[in-house]
Amino acid sequence: MIEVRNLSKYYGNRAAVDDISFDVQAGEIVGFLGPNGAGKTTTLRILTCYMPATSGSAKVAGHDVLTESMQVRSAVGYLPESVPLYHEMRVREYLRFRGKLRGLDRAAREAAIARVTNKCWLRDVIDRPIGQLSKGYRQRVGLADALLHNPKVLVLDEPTVGLDPTQIRETRSLIRALAADHTVILSSHILPEVEATCQRIIIIHNGKLVAQGTPEELRERITGETNLIVEVRGPQAAVADHVRKLGGVTDVQAATHDGWCRLTVAARRDVREDVFQLAVAQQWPLRELRREVASLEDFFVKIVAGARAHDGPAARD
Amino acid sequence: MRNIQAVMQRELLALFCSPIGYIVIAGFLLITGVSVWWTDTFAPGKPATLREVFFWTPWILTVIVPAISMRMLSEEYRSGTIESLMTAPVSDFQMVLGKYLAALVFYLIMLATTLLYVVLMGVYGNPDWGATAATYLGLVLIGALFSAFSVFASSLTANQVVAWILGWVPLLLFACLAFFVVRQVEGVWRQVFQQVNVIGRFDDFSKGLITTDGITFFVAATALFVFLTVKVVESRRWR
Repeated sequence: MIEVRNLSKYYGNRAAVDDISFDVQAGEIVGFLGPNGAGKTTTLRILTCYMPATSGSAKVAGHDVLTESMQVRSAVGYLPESVPLYHEMRVREYLRFRGKLRGLDRAAREAAIARVTNKCWLRDVIDRPIGQLSKGYRQRVGLADALLHNPKVLVLDEPTVGLDPTQIRETRSLIRALAADHTVILSSHILPEVEATCQRIIIIHNGKLVAQGTPEELRERITGETNLIVEVRGPQAAVADHVRKLGGVTDVQAATHDGWCRLTVAARRDVREDVFQLAVAQQWPLRELRREVASLEDFFVKIVAGARAHDGPAARD
Repeated sequence: MRNIQAVMQRELLALFCSPIGYIVIAGFLLITGVSVWWTDTFAPGKPATLREVFFWTPWILTVIVPAISMRMLSEEYRSGTIESLMTAPVSDFQMVLGKYLAALVFYLIMLATTLLYVVLMGVYGNPDWGATAATYLGLVLIGALFSAFSVFASSLTANQVVAWILGWVPLLLFACLAFFVVRQVEGVWRQVFQQVNVIGRFDDFSKGLITTDGITFFVAATALFVFLTVKVVESRRWR
């Protein structure tokens, strides 16, 4: 549904997007993840025909964004990051105006407005001026506008930014529900959000694509470094010494608190059973033994840190 | 066509929903009303013509017309709504033309309110209907040109006040002061100022003199500024 090939965008000499390629299949929800200023918005703006790329190509719904801009725009529903709306218009007036621009005739327009009003919980505010609405409602008006013409592709730039926790949850479930009929690409710098809504994650940093895959795939790539948390009652030096001697253990860090010795054990294999046997043999009471599953957050931080370290020497040249 | 109409309707709605539309109409009516009184147009024994009233109208329009369209594009840039407009299936030309037509329609509504003076003149005297019609044609053409220039000014900046100043200062300098400058200079400059002498051209119309030259000038200049606006809007994408 979306095909991006070697896309770059320069602002003067600065590359905002640097040679990015990826695909999005029909019906997928793809999360575009990266720290602020990574190039997410720029990429989405190129995909929605707001600005042309410096080089490379992008196709949305089978049309090129540069040469078949009008077809792409008809196929895409776009919620820009700042949710720009005309504050002097009422919600219904605004949606009517947008419906006209989308080429819907009167009957189709009113039906579409009724549909999106329901979907985005706008019924209470439909006749209020947009300028009077809260941030959460404005976000929903923006989303309703993006859904108005039932687009094949939905592009949502930071759809939950500025919403309260209830609204965030509602918006997430709405986005998940939309995936049945639409292909969704959404950007965020908040990882749990992408993890909760998306089937696939694309991580970009400094305009470069640094990783992509399902949340599980990305997590698997770091399971080798899983940590074990152990808490036993025993002398710290002896405990640490014994654990270190277990096969596969690479690093042990210990701290004692109230007589309980807490260890963080890095190991190449699962040593939980060995630790249990050791505690039994030494008669150390064991009150905690768990694997600390690496979160996607760790991965994200590592990826970004890695990319920074990688960029470091080049930047100094 | 529907896109142009949709954009135009939205702009008119915005003008009539905000105080600026009413302030502009009220200001225009006040100034023309005062000039009716000032010029003693309705005094007994004077010729039944509005020429003296409308002689000053282009000067007023240089300041008032840019106020109508100052926010048309600058406000879109400032609030970011340009992004949702430029990603909708609307060409830049349709968008600019819709906005321009809204400015023109608003101007025509404003101008139509002065028809009251013509009606009064018809009731109390026997005006020259041909010359009156020619005057109004001239006013429509001036409004069309000034509106196009003001929309162009609005496309250059994200600040409404700057857009207003970028609108009226060049209009005042070139379109109106050319009326005086043209007598002071010689040679090429004289020809240049003769061409852009909007007041002089309008004066022909108010005498009842409709020339192809005059109509061509206004239509061509209007088209030029609409075209330039489209180019400015397009060029923003590439920055």
